[in-house]
Amino acid sequence: MVLLAPTLMDLAPAALADEVRSRFGSELRRLGVFTQLCQLGAQACLEASATKGRIGVLLATTHGALTASRAALGDVLRSGEPAMPFAFLATQTNFAGALLASRSHDVARAACLYLGAQDWPWLLRMARSWLAECERVAVGWVEEATQGEAHRSHWCIFARQAVAPAIHCEPATAGTAATSGDWMARVAAWRNAPVAPLELRAGHQGWRFTSHPRTLDKGRAQSCA
Amino acid sequence: MSGAFVRATALASALGPELGAAAGRLFGEPGAPQTLMGWPYRAIPVEDGEWRRRAQTIARSVAADLWRSAGLPADRRTGLACLVGSSSFSIGASEVEYPALELPDAFCRTLAQTFGAGGPVLAMSSACTSGLSALQAALALVEEGDFSDVLVLGIELSNRLTVAGFAGLELLSRTRARPCDRDRDGMVLGEALGAVLVSATPAEWRVSALATGIDAASVTGPAPGGEAMAATMRSAMHRAGWRPGDVDLIKLQAAGSPLSDLAEARAVRNLFAAQPKLASLKGAIGHTLGASGPAELALLLAALARGRVPPTWGYEVYDEAIGLTPSDGAAGEVRRVLFNLSGFGGSVMTLALERAG
Repeated sequence: MVLLAPTLMDLAPAALADEVRSRFGSELRRLGVFTQLCQLGAQACLEASATKGRIGVLLATTHGALTASRAALGDVLRSGEPAMPFAFLATQTNFAGALLASRSHDVARAACLYLGAQDWPWLLRMARSWLAECERVAVGWVEEATQGEAHRSHWCIFARQAVAPAIHCEPATAGTAATSGDWMARVAAWRNAPVAPLELRAGHQGWRFTSHPRTLDKGRAQSCA
Repeated sequence: MSGAFVRATALASALGPELGAAAGRLFGEPGAPQTLMGWPYRAIPVEDGEWRRRAQTIARSVAADLWRSAGLPADRRTGLACLVGSSSFSIGASEVEYPALELPDAFCRTLAQTFGAGGPVLAMSSACTSGLSALQAALALVEEGDFSDVLVLGIELSNRLTVAGFAGLELLSRTRARPCDRDRDGMVLGEALGAVLVSATPAEWRVSALATGIDAASVTGPAPGGEAMAATMRSAMHRAGWRPGDVDLIKLQAAGSPLSDLAEARAVRNLFAAQPKLASLKGAIGHTLGASGPAELALLLAALARGRVPPTWGYEVYDEAIGLTPSDGAAGEVRRVLFNLSGFGGSVMTLALERAG
């Protein structure tokens, strides 16, 4: 399995609307913040990867659509009335697949995983399994801003075929501790100077990331394959 | 063809907290739904105080029921992986504890503990297909040889936000769900906790295939022609090595929605020259959203174990536009089943099940 186009989007909440307009040409007013972040990051990553083929969309988050859920819940508890349709839909986290499909991507499946900090290796494991049926899997880590931090929408593409400048990924048992929130940023940072393979782990599960043979010297690349 | 089997199932639903008795009630006189926020609602008949305490009671009951039939020793549950599908997780508790919101991952770990599953826990959501998404991940873990057994849970418990949301979208019936009926006017939501133990150990039912698709027509409903549903049914049959004539029964998604039922019916009619037996379970237990995969699978297999095809509660009057007649609960041998689900976000899934014996 190879990893392509790690795309890190960290956005100040005030910048979200401009970023959406810039990429999509108009506001996505009926979508909640969480789904807008998914769309922004996934679309940017797909464009950066320049890949084609049937795709699975596997996004992960710890908190999900926190802002919308709290707002919709507050409204319902106050009023006891039916929720406004788009306020309720904004609480849903799994619209990325359908919305990408509506933008002409050939989407085979989509799901959202709610992960704890140590669970990120499962994302790669599931992506590998999805590659049995999808040519590509877009994997995202999406979190709305809390307590003054930035919104985060981090995405990459997993594929079966080894194409430069891809990053080979294989299970490992050792490495530096990483979390669900930072593993992709670490891979992206390492990719800029991949002197040696990068090994990251959470608990007893880990993954080793190795540059494609065309971007590493042949002997080292083979020893890591 | 998959090498995974359904080793055991259990279910708490509007038909009761114990699966065997629930299957019996399914063949009895259809009962009327309760209400929540003034809307018809198929609640689990368990009263035990506040939300979390009641959820624990329901989970303990389902766990006990599951392990009675699973034949999996307690010492083999210590490393058991547990994959949980839901669209609302513990949002019902948050209605009491607001503005605190529990993280889905934390809720699912507590749930897994109640089942004695000591291995990894994953919380998944793909709206109404969440439970089947979890099942799909479980199948991969078993087929890749990483686990010999994986516990799949689908859970959807009472909460006002979901009812208010579906009411706001004008998707609910004011009276009852009438799947495929001429007078159907919307769905009725319901509660369920469904458990499915997926295993490499041969059992009566083999999971022959699970096909997925995305219907991009809308995030809240299918394309009128049901093309995505037809494609997933076709794909599931292809992977299972079946032809349409091999299918004995289709467990429909049909929830009583005017347009979604019609789209699925078109998909079925386009694929099957001769109508297989058909059944929808949503009239009996309501649309249990993210729980509906494990919940309906458990109820379906328990009903088939009685040598009868489940009746479709709420179906009375033939609809020429639908052009399908669901089962009335008659006896009949069923060896191959297609099991349809679809949901918000365009997710469409078809499970192919076959008697292994």
